[in-house]
Amino acid sequence: MANKGLYHPEFEHDSCGIGFVANIKSNKSHQIISDALTILENMEHRGACGCEPNTGDGAGILIQTPHEFFFDECLKHGIHLPTYSKYGVGVLFFPKDIRLREECRDIFNRSAETLGLEILGYRRVPVNTDGIGLTALSVEPEIEQVFIACPDHINNPINFERKLFVLRNYAAQTINNTVRKDAVGFYVASLSYKTVIYKGQLTSLQLRNYYPDLSNKKIVSAFGLIHSRFATNTFPSWKLAQPFRYIAHNGEINTLQGNLNWLRTSEKSFVSQYFSKEEMEMLLPVVEQGQSDSACLDNMIELLTLCGRSLPHVMMMLIPEAWDGNEHMDPIKKAFYEFHASFMEPWDGPASISFTDGRLIGATLDRNGLRPSRYCITTDDRVIMASETGVLPIDPKLIKEKGRLQPGKMFVVDLEEGRIISDDEIKKKICSQKPYSDWLNKYKIRLEELPEPRVMFTHLEHRQVFQYQKAFGYTTEDLDLLIAPMALTGKEPTGSMGSDVPLAVLSNEPQHLSSYFKQLFAQVTNPPIDPIREKLVMSLATFVGNNGNLLEEDPLSCHCVALKHPVLSNHELEKIRSIDTGIFQAKTLQTYFMADGKPGSLQRGIERLCRYAVDAVADGFEVLILSDRAIDSEHAAIPSLLATAAVHHHLIKKGLRGQVGLVIEAGDVWEVHHFACLIGFGATCINPYLALSTIRDMKISGKLMTDLNSTDLKKNYVKAVNEGLLKVFSKMGISTFQSYQGAQIFEIIGIDKSVINKYFTGATSRIEGMGLDEIANETLVKHFFSFSRKNIPIERLTVGGAYQWKRKGEFHLFNPQTIHLLQYSTRMNDYSIFKKYSKLVNDQTEKAATLRSLFQFKNNRPSISIDEVEPAENIYKRFATGAMSFGSISWEAHTTLAIAMNRLGGKSNTGEGGEDEIRYVRLPNGDSMRSAIKQVASARFGVTSEYLTEAEELQIKMAQGAKPGEGGQLPGHKVDDWIGRVRHATAGVGLISPPPHHDIYSIEDLAQLIFDLKNANRNARINVKLVSKAGVGTIAAGVAKAKADVILISGHDGGTGASPLSSIKHAGLPWELGLAETHQTLVKNKLRSRVIVQTDGQLKTGRDIAIATLLGAEEWGVATAALVVEGCIMMRKCHLNTCPVGVATQNPELRKRFTGEADHVVNLFKFLTQELREIMAELGFRTINEMVGQVDYLEKRENITHPKFSKLDLSPILYKEPASKFTGLYKSEDQDHGLAEVLDWKLLKAAQPAIDHLQKVRHSFNIQNTDRTTGTILSNEISKKYKAQGLPDDTIHFKFSGTAGQSFAAFNTRGVTLELEGDANDYFGKGLSGAKLIIYPSKDAGFVPEENIIIGNVAFYGATSGEAYIRGKAGERFCVRNSGANVVVEGVGDHGCEYMTGGNAVILGETGRNFAAGMSGGIAYVYNVQHNFDSLCNKEMVDLDPVDGEDEKVLRHMIAQHYQLTNSTVAKFILNDFENQLKNFIKVFPKDYKKILVDTKEMIPVK
Amino acid sequence: MAKPTGFLEFTRELPQKRPPAERVNDYYEFVERYTDEKLNQQAARCMDCGIPFCHHGCPLGNVIPEFNDAVYRKSWKEAYDILTSTNNFPEFTGRICPAPCETSCVLGINQPAITIEEIEKHIIEIAFDHGFVKAQRPNVRTGKKIAVVGSGPAGLAVAAQLNYAGHNVTVFERDDLPGGLLRYGIPDFKLEKWVVERRIKLMEEEGIVFSCNSNVGVDISINDLLREYHAIVLAGGSTIPRDLSIPGRELKGVHFAMDFLKQQNKRVSDIKVENENIFATNKNVVVIGGGDTGSDCVGTSNRHKALSVTQFELLPKPPDSRTSFMPWPTYPMLMKTTSSHEEGVQRNWAIATKEFVGDENGNLKALKIVSLEWKFTDDDKPAKFVEVEGSETEIPCELALLAMGFLHPQYEGLLEQLEIELDERGNVRASEKNYHTNISKIFAAGDMRRGQSLVVWAISEGRECARKVDEYLMGHSLLEAKDQNILHEL
Repeated sequence: MANKGLYHPEFEHDSCGIGFVANIKSNKSHQIISDALTILENMEHRGACGCEPNTGDGAGILIQTPHEFFFDECLKHGIHLPTYSKYGVGVLFFPKDIRLREECRDIFNRSAETLGLEILGYRRVPVNTDGIGLTALSVEPEIEQVFIACPDHINNPINFERKLFVLRNYAAQTINNTVRKDAVGFYVASLSYKTVIYKGQLTSLQLRNYYPDLSNKKIVSAFGLIHSRFATNTFPSWKLAQPFRYIAHNGEINTLQGNLNWLRTSEKSFVSQYFSKEEMEMLLPVVEQGQSDSACLDNMIELLTLCGRSLPHVMMMLIPEAWDGNEHMDPIKKAFYEFHASFMEPWDGPASISFTDGRLIGATLDRNGLRPSRYCITTDDRVIMASETGVLPIDPKLIKEKGRLQPGKMFVVDLEEGRIISDDEIKKKICSQKPYSDWLNKYKIRLEELPEPRVMFTHLEHRQVFQYQKAFGYTTEDLDLLIAPMALTGKEPTGSMGSDVPLAVLSNEPQHLSSYFKQLFAQVTNPPIDPIREKLVMSLATFVGNNGNLLEEDPLSCHCVALKHPVLSNHELEKIRSIDTGIFQAKTLQTYFMADGKPGSLQRGIERLCRYAVDAVADGFEVLILSDRAIDSEHAAIPSLLATAAVHHHLIKKGLRGQVGLVIEAGDVWEVHHFACLIGFGATCINPYLALSTIRDMKISGKLMTDLNSTDLKKNYVKAVNEGLLKVFSKMGISTFQSYQGAQIFEIIGIDKSVINKYFTGATSRIEGMGLDEIANETLVKHFFSFSRKNIPIERLTVGGAYQWKRKGEFHLFNPQTIHLLQYSTRMNDYSIFKKYSKLVNDQTEKAATLRSLFQFKNNRPSISIDEVEPAENIYKRFATGAMSFGSISWEAHTTLAIAMNRLGGKSNTGEGGEDEIRYVRLPNGDSMRSAIKQVASARFGVTSEYLTEAEELQIKMAQGAKPGEGGQLPGHKVDDWIGRVRHATAGVGLISPPPHHDIYSIEDLAQLIFDLKNANRNARINVKLVSKAGVGTIAAGVAKAKADVILISGHDGGTGASPLSSIKHAGLPWELGLAETHQTLVKNKLRSRVIVQTDGQLKTGRDIAIATLLGAEEWGVATAALVVEGCIMMRKCHLNTCPVGVATQNPELRKRFTGEADHVVNLFKFLTQELREIMAELGFRTINEMVGQVDYLEKRENITHPKFSKLDLSPILYKEPASKFTGLYKSEDQDHGLAEVLDWKLLKAAQPAIDHLQKVRHSFNIQNTDRTTGTILSNEISKKYKAQGLPDDTIHFKFSGTAGQSFAAFNTRGVTLELEGDANDYFGKGLSGAKLIIYPSKDAGFVPEENIIIGNVAFYGATSGEAYIRGKAGERFCVRNSGANVVVEGVGDHGCEYMTGGNAVILGETGRNFAAGMSGGIAYVYNVQHNFDSLCNKEMVDLDPVDGEDEKVLRHMIAQHYQLTNSTVAKFILNDFENQLKNFIKVFPKDYKKILVDTKEMIPVK
Repeated sequence: MAKPTGFLEFTRELPQKRPPAERVNDYYEFVERYTDEKLNQQAARCMDCGIPFCHHGCPLGNVIPEFNDAVYRKSWKEAYDILTSTNNFPEFTGRICPAPCETSCVLGINQPAITIEEIEKHIIEIAFDHGFVKAQRPNVRTGKKIAVVGSGPAGLAVAAQLNYAGHNVTVFERDDLPGGLLRYGIPDFKLEKWVVERRIKLMEEEGIVFSCNSNVGVDISINDLLREYHAIVLAGGSTIPRDLSIPGRELKGVHFAMDFLKQQNKRVSDIKVENENIFATNKNVVVIGGGDTGSDCVGTSNRHKALSVTQFELLPKPPDSRTSFMPWPTYPMLMKTTSSHEEGVQRNWAIATKEFVGDENGNLKALKIVSLEWKFTDDDKPAKFVEVEGSETEIPCELALLAMGFLHPQYEGLLEQLEIELDERGNVRASEKNYHTNISKIFAAGDMRRGQSLVVWAISEGRECARKVDEYLMGHSLLEAKDQNILHEL
């Protein structure tokens, strides 16, 4: 399909609810299928529907072949089926068009014939289309089942299965290549003798009725595996529904592009004993075109399984546990993982996968365990596994065990053996089937064991360093601001105030090639990872050498150099260059081109390089070293990124890439982003020789004030690069180097398609740009500077000027002139001066900085008088200021913005730092300091029921423009008493914001949080803040389906917070792209009229606002300009607390220097509006609504002659997606938030006497997993009346029986006590604000409570106060970001008490790994009878102390409460033997917190 | 950055000066050097701003935060390299620049600005001390010959830059020694002449030829120059002073400031004064004009031991601090007390001189003056004045020095012979784009093109002009231009 806009189908995401029910003893029944469908129906809230409520995103079920049923059905069609396993069943989706259908059928039949397979016949699958949405029906396929006989000569059914596999791939490819495509297409849902799939673009509730087969009592199976899909689908499609043939996948493969590339390259060398050469050719390519990531993974699993590995073995290969650096792992298992890692990279991303081959059914979680998976085993031999607990009502008496899948673990039911096989057992068996560790010992090459290199390397001397620096484009800024800090501190430097420099393609300064590459990042559909606090899942391990044949187990597969990380010192590189094991050798290729400036020179250089690379592989070299050291005046270096990508892709195309490691020896690699780009396009490891020499040179010349020697400095630098790389990976949710390698997680802006297709194949580049010759020119400029024959009087590197404004440096929109004029005009209230300012900003004909500068307005209708344009007062309310926290900016700066916005009727934003309650009271002069927008960010600072209640809008910050995909840190010295109080933290203790929201790992999770917040404040709009990137439109579509009211598309360039410099510069896209894509995609999806679209990111003038409106935004955020008006002079030192004008500082002395006034800020918005209205009048728009999305009023400026950006193709941005008749281009209808049927209305009714008269109330209710977010509306009502203090304790006491849905008691406030008999799902007690929670298993339950799981993951996330008693175990991330709740629990999963800053957690049982990571406050008491806690705790920030007298009191009180309220046997035991048992308690005491507590105690005067 | 919190720890301190009572007895410079510690502290105050407004405010584009950092690190060679990458003569600007950089210093928004000018002076003097400042001869000569007319700061800067580019440069100076105003305008107590000589000597070593006593258009024919040279740069300055045409102007004792100052500079350098000696000794001196030249006259008069020194300014007394109409970072018109003022002067504002009153011998004996009342515009600028009725008085005065600025370059001679095109202000017309006059081969820079201005502007003009000349001769240039990355030329 031709794409005119910015939307691309590859951007689609999905995630979902999955589950299965199975009979362990393999007893087949119809009930199993019916139960599976019930599970599906009870997870309806995890799926989504599109623009129409009755068009689903997809639902399906996979069952065992119901032989009897088919036998009878076939008889009706005159087909006589042979016995089970002697025939295969295919489920085929045919086009509706009969001619196309018959064409497909013919090909399918012929293909079968080719393979010697006999088609027994076809059965049309009956369907019932009642109630199916029009959109789904428009592309509904004709569904038929085909029956294929097993040839007599095949005795083993698995061989027959292999034949069917070949048939399916061959037939599908042939059909797709030859038959004309219509919207439906041809698709084989399943083709197997063992399993059958029923699925379609349906909602969870529709599946059962759509396929009458499923209700036929004769259809039986021992298991049913189901999937409910929540997708960002733009085009309806039935084949995207799950399950696939082997798996149902809840998650996202972040590294898909790379995985597919690696697969593509290894396909050429595929040899398998199970397939003949001809068959292998017929079944390739393994992965079909245009599929979802899950489908690709399914294809891969299928291939590897059918080539002889067991299904669990394959799962372990593709989704390995975190083995690298795991000291606890059994060496045999570690060897298995390491061996497989040497030729197979992980398919990385959050994943909960249910899998089956018809004989085994099981499930596994990825190493991060970011998707919930709960299981339940019954005494009548059933296993129920699902994303949620309680999805299938089961008599508590029958329950034998309740558990959850843990990160990296597997759970398998062997239906033939009739038993459950534990993770331990199955992995032990697989890991010992071959002598993997012997193979490693024999063949693996360890760098440290290699002999000294034959040729020793000599250092570059000062003159050479300088010459190379010039040739590769180093600037003084690169030296001073990037390399020096990395060498000195071992960390990446930080900066603030975003970026206002031109995009690389717009810049007049010669760019580093990687500056055209923007890092992608995770938002909404998958979470970023915290690479520091959760480093146990991260790995930089890399292998240099030949990958071998993926399909066979060959010991030589691991004959390669194993590296701990990808950055090589000069010495290490020389070692590799010198290797010669007889069958392993390295070849160095020079990467230069003729510096003659002639067209085509660069291309010739690259082509020659690629030719040499192929020759080297053919000659048997295992390692290629691409080196640019050999440049001279005649030979310029090919940019290393281009050389790497070109060789990488050339070798992929030749099918040779897997046979060599690609080592890059490059001078133009110094910042983290350069490394990331190289790795992302295939580099195996990198030697940044010039950066290392630069450090040595700076040390010698006295640039670095340090006692460290240059060896230490270089080590620091390498450490900083490595940590930076982990951060780059993790912002995309990728954990390992191997997965990132070649994954191409970038969007390219400004490079021509011809270059992309050839050298960066498959990468995203939507607006074209430079060709090879322009790239060559940029290289040559630097080259000639270095090798100039002319006199240059003072030889200095150029200044750069990207991070600071410099006269000879990069252009900045905020510069001395514009800052002065903006401040002056608003202070003097002088619009004419403002016009001078806006003229300077808008006129970018000489120097372009923004994409919008390339546009001009187009008059399509007569101008009108400005008096006819809607009044300014109407427009003010569409403005917001940016999200900046009190803490990042001063009280003065923060409240001034709030007062100004309240005067105008616009909205200011709290940022993520909470809000002081005194701001809820009006000032005597009528002003209000209350921020209308309350932000809910990952740290949930100060997010209480009252805070939420006081909002007009609640903004969920998914990402931040300056550093999307990253967390933040407020250092302790910035947390004064005031900020500490507002954030519910301890003054002086540092605060960490996690990279992800721990309750949003997927889009259905976001839907849940939106639902939570809507419950917490029904009157507030829910705003979801996204950062512009390729694919943000599809994410926005998902967010709209998740029922957000407002979607904010933030540009990459904004951002006042402190961020790593590389993130400020290299992550995210300008809002023009993201906004246009979002608007187009929402219109395409018929979702646009349901949401307000807002944009921000360096909006500076009325023209900017007008363009934003035409591109589709009806509201706008202005942050940096507002700060400038308050006095900010772009110091860019916010992170140092030294802001000299009192804006971004907490230093009381500096705060006194703040001179901003609300009136000045008001003037800014008046001027912006005035300018906007002038443009509206000019273009003939009377209202903003009329103007939103009218992109045909923009066109590309005519007079663009710049050699670089005149080649940009802006038409995708200016594409106007045709709107449907029924949906407009702006928000015109309200979302249905589904609050009408929630349980809380009953609660509220029952609680009325308490709220009205403070009467105590007690009531009982039944509850089930579809009852979500319980008690939240109730608490909202209490907060409205009683503010923060709530009701007296226990005024309301409600008891529930059953399984609670997600977010039980979220944001519940003081005075509310909720007691639950049964169990609960994820987010139990989220944001608890004073309520008391009690939970214990059903009294009838047949299991031991403390050994079973009772509440799900991420309980008490962001709780600020309250208490809870949990009889049983909790899942992962218990008490994450708790800042004040006191809770007792009987065991927790991994990452317990992560980032906690306050409150007490008493854990009367085992904990998982990485306990207390990032915990800076509060205390955890862990009852550790096994004495193994030490190894499970992350002790970076905490001490493990014995309990003292004070603790004893706390413990006794809390445990006694626990016993009294839950009847816990553990509690009883401890209390009965208290003195003794105290010894088993470990006090987890954060170090800084302890210090502050001690200091405070000392400060109390002794009387 | 030097020290993130330096500006919070230290305040602005200028180096010690010798006490006025002592220094008025000689013509030596009186500003001492910082101690090492003080210099370090002053450099530590630099905040290394995200937008260094100082760098924008400096006409040369000096890269101030960078050299402050290098000074802080005591990395003197580096500091010297940074400084001289934008400024050929920091030893001049470090002494006599009114430092627009400091008025745009970000710290100056609410605190005293960084002592940028002093730091600049220290860098270059330390560089001389350490022997970093060496003659740099270009390694390739282009064979192009260039004549520079005038050896003031603009002419010197043009010459230095073009020489670096490999051209052969000859500087023509009509006076007996090169330096222009640097030598004969600015008194020694502000800029001792060995400083100028030191630089000239270096330039000579680098290959520049100075031809003094060569008044082009008088001693040397312009046609000869046009024939012999590939390019000519006019940098003759703006030398015609503004006169005060009131009764008594012809009296003895009424002089232009520059005549007075030049004589004294010659005396200090032991060069014979040819015209009538002008001394302030034992006289009531009135300096008419409140600018820097006026200040120099005050300082010189005090050194002459005048009986009294009075300075008149037509405009009203400016405010002591910024008003909303002269916001940071603009250059404000503020009340300024120069070091010469410290040495003793009676300053009067809003005064007009009506008449020079002479005695019977035609010697000046008094001034008739009147007070003025000013009307201001909406944005607080003085616009119109009326004389205050009855305020007319007479004050004794035997020496009146006219320091009311300069009008334009001298036309007679060279410019008239060339019939060169002038702009509306009477300066040589040449745009800032290319510094090219309407005559092929002939360029103009400095006050001659710009009108009277600061030394720092003259140097800037010289550098920018040199680059344009180089481009004109060679097609492109690698000489630094203040607003352009050198890579753009490649």
